[in-house]
Amino acid sequence: MVLRWASLFRIQQLSFSESRHPLTLRKCGQEPQQALQRQLCSSLRNGPQQDLACSRDKDRPETPSQELRDKLKLLNGGTPWSCAHEETVRSLMDLGFTEDQVIQLCEGTSSQMPPLSTQGLATLSTLTTLGLNPSSILRILEKCPELSRINGNQLQQRINSLRKLGLLEGSLQRVVAHCPHILTLTPKRLGTSVRFLREECQFTGQQVTEILRSAPATLLEEKRQLQNKFQYAYFRMGIQHTDMVKSGLFRVPLEEIRSRHVFLERLGVYETPDKKGQTRIINPKLKDFLGTSQDFLTKVARASLDEFEVFRKLLAREQDEEKEGQEEEDSDSEEDEAEMGYESEESEQTEYTRRKK
Amino acid sequence: AATLPRITSTKLALQNFDVNYGTQFGERWPSIRVSLLSEQKYGALINNFSSAEELIKGLELQGARDFVYEAQARTWSNEVPLSSQVGEGVEMAAATEPPSLSPNIKCFTFPKGDITAFSPARLDGSGLLGYYLLDAASVLPVLALDVQPGHTVLDLCAAPGGKTLAIIQTQACWRLAANDSSVSRTGRLRRILQSYIPREHSTEDRVRITSFDGRRWGELESNTFDRVLVDVPCTTDRHSLLEEENNIFTRSRSKERQTLPLLQSQLLLAGIKAALPGGVVLYSTCTLSQLQNEYVVERAVQAAQEELGVTVHIEDLSPLTQLFRDTFHFAQGMRLGELVLPHLTSNFGPTYFCKLRRIN
Repeated sequence: MVLRWASLFRIQQLSFSESRHPLTLRKCGQEPQQALQRQLCSSLRNGPQQDLACSRDKDRPETPSQELRDKLKLLNGGTPWSCAHEETVRSLMDLGFTEDQVIQLCEGTSSQMPPLSTQGLATLSTLTTLGLNPSSILRILEKCPELSRINGNQLQQRINSLRKLGLLEGSLQRVVAHCPHILTLTPKRLGTSVRFLREECQFTGQQVTEILRSAPATLLEEKRQLQNKFQYAYFRMGIQHTDMVKSGLFRVPLEEIRSRHVFLERLGVYETPDKKGQTRIINPKLKDFLGTSQDFLTKVARASLDEFEVFRKLLAREQDEEKEGQEEEDSDSEEDEAEMGYESEESEQTEYTRRKK
Repeated sequence: AATLPRITSTKLALQNFDVNYGTQFGERWPSIRVSLLSEQKYGALINNFSSAEELIKGLELQGARDFVYEAQARTWSNEVPLSSQVGEGVEMAAATEPPSLSPNIKCFTFPKGDITAFSPARLDGSGLLGYYLLDAASVLPVLALDVQPGHTVLDLCAAPGGKTLAIIQTQACWRLAANDSSVSRTGRLRRILQSYIPREHSTEDRVRITSFDGRRWGELESNTFDRVLVDVPCTTDRHSLLEEENNIFTRSRSKERQTLPLLQSQLLLAGIKAALPGGVVLYSTCTLSQLQNEYVVERAVQAAQEELGVTVHIEDLSPLTQLFRDTFHFAQGMRLGELVLPHLTSNFGPTYFCKLRRIN
């Protein structure tokens, strides 16, 4: 741990464009880690650069192997700040990246993840500060290459916003690892989502934290989508806030929620509570019906997969027809003889019976 | 002043069904319920009087098949002997021969699980429509009626006309009497026949359309018909769950609804009277209710015996249901008649049908 601060300091020295490194700018007394960092950095500045209390990991090579150097030589051809710079490589290794990982970072693993830039270095250091290990960090960058293009300062700010929203240590790291895109949100954008959940949906602060913790992707969703999902759950299904949060509703796409809900409703297994919140049957627990398809079918719906699959297709078609119907609200053409050839019992109209509910 | 919220007829219907059918079907009810509340499946009854070949090719290209032909073809080629198809616990039907069905009826459907919809029928060169879209299960009572060439047929409650049209497609009736108690519905029946049948085939002497009260047929024309179809008014379960208009579960119609079984028995009895000795009377409904199905048949058979001295036998339709089990979901263990149950993979029905033969 201590070792890392030292390496980070070296990286900071190397990257001049990012001279305003978050580590050295941290004000007094904010987070415990930062305080420690400051102490460390100041001691480093004052004293010699070696002889730190913690020993290096004895297993890690002190210098890059020849093999690594050779590989990196091939990549070297850029500016002095290219990844192939020996100091940088050494720092990366000190951070805990293996040789293979260093190569991955320098080459870029795919078209998605370009070779590491100076900005990328700052991202790495910020993520390391957060307490994530090298493999996780690598995975995060693969999932979300955009992160390396974010200004280190901004990144730290965003992490702090997440902390302010109540994400504790442990949860914070898990959320970032699981859904790194959350860090691509500007504080303003994050704030909008949060405000929507608090003010329009009336979730409590604690509930918002929980949603953030269990379904961080929710905050990435367009407001419209989120609104649709919330309204469906609240009005159409009659689910209360606490249940929404506890059941992990926000993790499930609206289409899936709707298919399952309408299926259960038409089976007679789920009933939307009336104005007094009462139902004539006992509704299955939301947690159960949002479970795996297998569980959903066998335990809650008690129907076959065939039936559910056909049902989804039918429902999708109904939805399409409803949309079309709404779009055609003004054209109310009489279709009598032209529509001849459809039978519907007991009806004077020869209209193709549409599902209305 | 605050008024009580008005509960819709469709909601009333659903409540009624949950209570009655929940008991009647037990664990099978949810599966039927979800099907009734979802979009039904249609069949395309081919108009033999229209230029059919190209049309049929087109339907086949889409993936639809004539279920009537396919089922029969299987028995002719002896691929699957009927007797081996009998499942565990089901009694061997007395006849393992293929059932005798009305001829020339062609009805296309998409396979189980396929929800492709048929496009509306189009007019051909001679101004006739190529096919009629209807619940494919409605064709079964007409097949079971077993109209043979030269027969005189009575369709006692003919409107809206799908089954009447199917009867005419057999091209086997010498004379067809189509009746419906409602004048407006009879008008619709006429229009449908005009769109499908060339005028020369539906002249007054061959197809007679009337609007009398069907219960009176015993007085009007007794002992007259080889075949009688009694497709009675009922609670039309599917319609009642989805359409507010003309809904029999409206509170103002509750008396009408409650006296339906009586009306149905009277109609069936009239049909029995109208039939020739040896003739077939086919009773059908589009409801799941035992009160409107088995109960009515029993009452009518009893009344025929006691009031008229007419003996009526119920014929076993299991060879027919065996034949079509790949297209429809039939209820198991029916003690009287057969019932097509709606199922999401084959969302036809509900259709109840029972074949009666007048002995004397």
